[in-house]
Amino acid sequence: MAWYHEVAASFAALIGRRRQDAEMKEEINFHLEMEARRNVASGMSTSDAQRRARRDFGGVERHKDDVRDERGAGRLFDAWSDVRFAIRSLRQRPGLTMAATLTLALGIGATSAVFGVVKHVLLTPLPYENPDRVVAVWSAWKGFDQTWLSYDEWEGWKARVPAFSDIALYTDGAVTLDGDAPERLRAVNLHATMFSILGAPPERGRAFTAEEDRPGGPNVAILSHELWERRFGADPSVIGRRIQISGSATTVVGIMPAGFQMPLDYTLGERTDIYLPLGLDAQTAGSVPGPAFPKGGASHGFYGVARLAPNATPAAANAQLRTLVAELEQFGYMANVNFHAFVVPIDEQITGRVRPVLLVVFGAVVLVLIIACANVAGLLLVRGETRRRELAVRVALGAGASRLARLLITESAVLAALGGTMGIALATITVRLLRANAPAGLPRLTEVSVDWSVLMFALVVAALTALATGMLPLVHATHLAPAGELREGGRGATSGRARLRWRQLLVAVEIALAVVLVAGAGLMIRTVRNLLTIDPGFRSDGVLTMRVSTPSLWYPDSTRVVAFWDDVQRRVSALPGVKHAAAVRLLPLATEMGDWGLVIQGYTPPPNRGAPGDWQIVTPGYFETLGLTIREGRALNAGDDMHAPLAMVVNRAFEEQYFAGRRALGGRVRVGGSDTLHVYTIVGVVDDVHHNALVGTVKPQFYATLAQFAVAPGSTRRSMSLVVKTDGDAKALLMEVRATVRAVDPRLAVSEVRTMRDIVDAAIGGQRFAMETLGVFGVVALLLSAIGIFGIVSQVVASRFHELGIRAALGATPNDLMAIGLRSGLQQATSGLVAGIVAALLLTRVLHSLLHGVTATDPLTFVAVVVVTGLVAIVASVAPARRAARIDPNAALRVD
Amino acid sequence: MPTDRRLGARAEVVRGTLEMLALTLLSDGPMHGWGLSLKLRELSRDVFDVNQGSLYPALQAMLRRGWIRAEWRASENNRRARYYSITAHGRDQLGMEIEEWNRTSAAVNRVIRYALSGA
Repeated sequence: MAWYHEVAASFAALIGRRRQDAEMKEEINFHLEMEARRNVASGMSTSDAQRRARRDFGGVERHKDDVRDERGAGRLFDAWSDVRFAIRSLRQRPGLTMAATLTLALGIGATSAVFGVVKHVLLTPLPYENPDRVVAVWSAWKGFDQTWLSYDEWEGWKARVPAFSDIALYTDGAVTLDGDAPERLRAVNLHATMFSILGAPPERGRAFTAEEDRPGGPNVAILSHELWERRFGADPSVIGRRIQISGSATTVVGIMPAGFQMPLDYTLGERTDIYLPLGLDAQTAGSVPGPAFPKGGASHGFYGVARLAPNATPAAANAQLRTLVAELEQFGYMANVNFHAFVVPIDEQITGRVRPVLLVVFGAVVLVLIIACANVAGLLLVRGETRRRELAVRVALGAGASRLARLLITESAVLAALGGTMGIALATITVRLLRANAPAGLPRLTEVSVDWSVLMFALVVAALTALATGMLPLVHATHLAPAGELREGGRGATSGRARLRWRQLLVAVEIALAVVLVAGAGLMIRTVRNLLTIDPGFRSDGVLTMRVSTPSLWYPDSTRVVAFWDDVQRRVSALPGVKHAAAVRLLPLATEMGDWGLVIQGYTPPPNRGAPGDWQIVTPGYFETLGLTIREGRALNAGDDMHAPLAMVVNRAFEEQYFAGRRALGGRVRVGGSDTLHVYTIVGVVDDVHHNALVGTVKPQFYATLAQFAVAPGSTRRSMSLVVKTDGDAKALLMEVRATVRAVDPRLAVSEVRTMRDIVDAAIGGQRFAMETLGVFGVVALLLSAIGIFGIVSQVVASRFHELGIRAALGATPNDLMAIGLRSGLQQATSGLVAGIVAALLLTRVLHSLLHGVTATDPLTFVAVVVVTGLVAIVASVAPARRAARIDPNAALRVD
Repeated sequence: MPTDRRLGARAEVVRGTLEMLALTLLSDGPMHGWGLSLKLRELSRDVFDVNQGSLYPALQAMLRRGWIRAEWRASENNRRARYYSITAHGRDQLGMEIEEWNRTSAAVNRVIRYALSGA
């Protein structure tokens, strides 16, 4: 049977009912008229002919009904009339309908929005081919849980790890796209094989060739789709053309597909604009040629990505790496530092950090949805009370249980449909807000949208809510005994109690779940507070930052770079509202810092281990600008220029590790290899700055001025961050500061404009996000529970109207009566609280990985939760309890 | 289908036959309801004159299943009439039903002949 004919006919029948009826009438009239005419022709009188025609036709109305039935929309008709009935009866109680709809909208909307985020961030596959076969490759040793690879390790793993079908390296940096409006671009230098390892070939043009990826190779570049659209108007002829990159003519050979991102991009929340060949070999990378390793350490500076060989697993790769590393340690490579190498599946690498946050938030939103359903079920149950007589009449008139069930379920379905529609609107708004306020450090959040899968999800959730909210009133209605109901006059004392118990159970569940959410929110609030009270070692308020680079094309030597920064610093400092200005190599908490091998006078490192120090390059004034605390000696100042004796400031960790029991001030430190003759003298010790992360140990770090670091070890920083300390709102001075930089050199591009506050916030983005969502959900849950308690107490007072009246008549004071109301509210709250605390003690464990400085069963938090929930219960009980206090015994006893 | 359920088994046989005959007539060309009814009565020598009205639910059912389609046209005496015509789907259905009918009637005839000759 062609079912689509049936379906189409059903809908046609439903939509065109009136027209079809008119046509049917016309058709049958035509038949009767023709038949009558035929009868007249055979000799009958007109009236006889008509009567005969009707008789031969059979019952006209009966046949009409049969035709209507055959339109195939019978069941749809029934459903439609149920829906209309439901709408009519919902309109009779606009307050209740509104409350139920809004509650459901809230539940469905929040759940759908969070689902959208979870689905996009955790479930949408990465833009790589078979991403489950791609792994990030890392090194680690003491003090470095997860750090870069050395060139030797790449060569070694490539040749000696059979679990890898191939492995490639990349580094990130920045280049300037020259032109009328020079632009700073995020660049990635990568091995030619990188795109084939990721399984993401360029959408136009081609990938780099091995010939291009070598030292001194041709200048070639691949553009991101977004850069291609933004700067080149998506012109395909740009392939093969030469563009100016940081002063060099560079040939564009390919365009990456839209949406492609490097693994690192997700972590940083920034997109790579342009891809360049790595262009290294063992010699230029300073490594031992071939799969051999040097004795001692190595320079680790590359991100590694590998594709697993067919049938190989990440575990197999890790096992092979372990064996290799053990062998290398014997040989003397990275010995005695607990060196190891490991892989992380790429999706875990990218979303692993947010997964716990999102799962917690998703769990929380499901709790909110359950609370919303419980609330609406409670409302419908109350409504069922007032409708018992109406329903009893229906049963008495012959409505079967299934008919009644359909009516009630239809009502919930209509509510769910209304709530679902509003919920989708709400989800759209929420997702938009989330995107606009995406906490930094949560990868992929900015791409979330409400797509068909989110709509489908909302639909399913709405259908489930319809079932969940309709079930309880249904169970009640089907137990209706019409005779009893009607005789009783609708006031059944015993059955009323039973129904009250159901509502009490619902509200207890609501309170219990609210307690779980509030406890979670409380723990996150304490965590964020703890994180915020960590002294990062610098003052972030009022500090504006931006990145500026001085390409070698225009600044061929370090003298000019230093002069440029002197000029910028002098002019920016002179701006009204600016207290200090300086430049720094890497902003704390923004970019991880690598180390430099040092030789420290009087300190002998353990065998096969150097004395590494994280190197921070600054201009004079940096310590004042970021408010670092000098413990001993002095800060670096304008006197520490390229002609002065080399001076460095070290952090406390440096002092403790390398000068244990000795005075660090005046200590002598050689930076770089033994061929460097220049030796720094320690002139100051500063408090530790948490550079790589807010929590965790701080590594030894030293500060040197830009001018002196250019002398020894002879490295000029071409990309620095300008930091400006203002005496008010940091962002307010943005235009002036930018204009000042432009006045010094209009060719230079400014990028990564942020306040230090933004950077610190991003560092605790995950926890803050969890705190905010749990907080909002907790408040919503408390509100819904309060409504539930309010309803219960109202019902208790109403059902004990007579009893309270008698008590009043017997001399109970209004306070006594109010106490009865309040007690019922608190009793209600207590059972929910007890259940909630037990549930919370079990459930808050899932927060474990997010918490800092507080345990998942923190007593203080749980006491606070009890107090807050108890207060909410009291407040919600007061108004209905008051009604008990105002009972007029005369009125109460006169009813009936 | 609600109606199918309400009709007894015997009525269903009648309805099935009615549908088959209507399809047969429509395979010659479009007709309106009364025309069909008249033709049925003439050709069947009034065997199918039981109830003219029952033709219309049958037509509606076939419309729903997509065996026939309907359109309004001017009738022979220039009145607006609803003309039914058979669809390709309807022709397939008719083929199957005629085959089925032939098989059934042949079987019935065989049984009757056997019973009569045996008597």
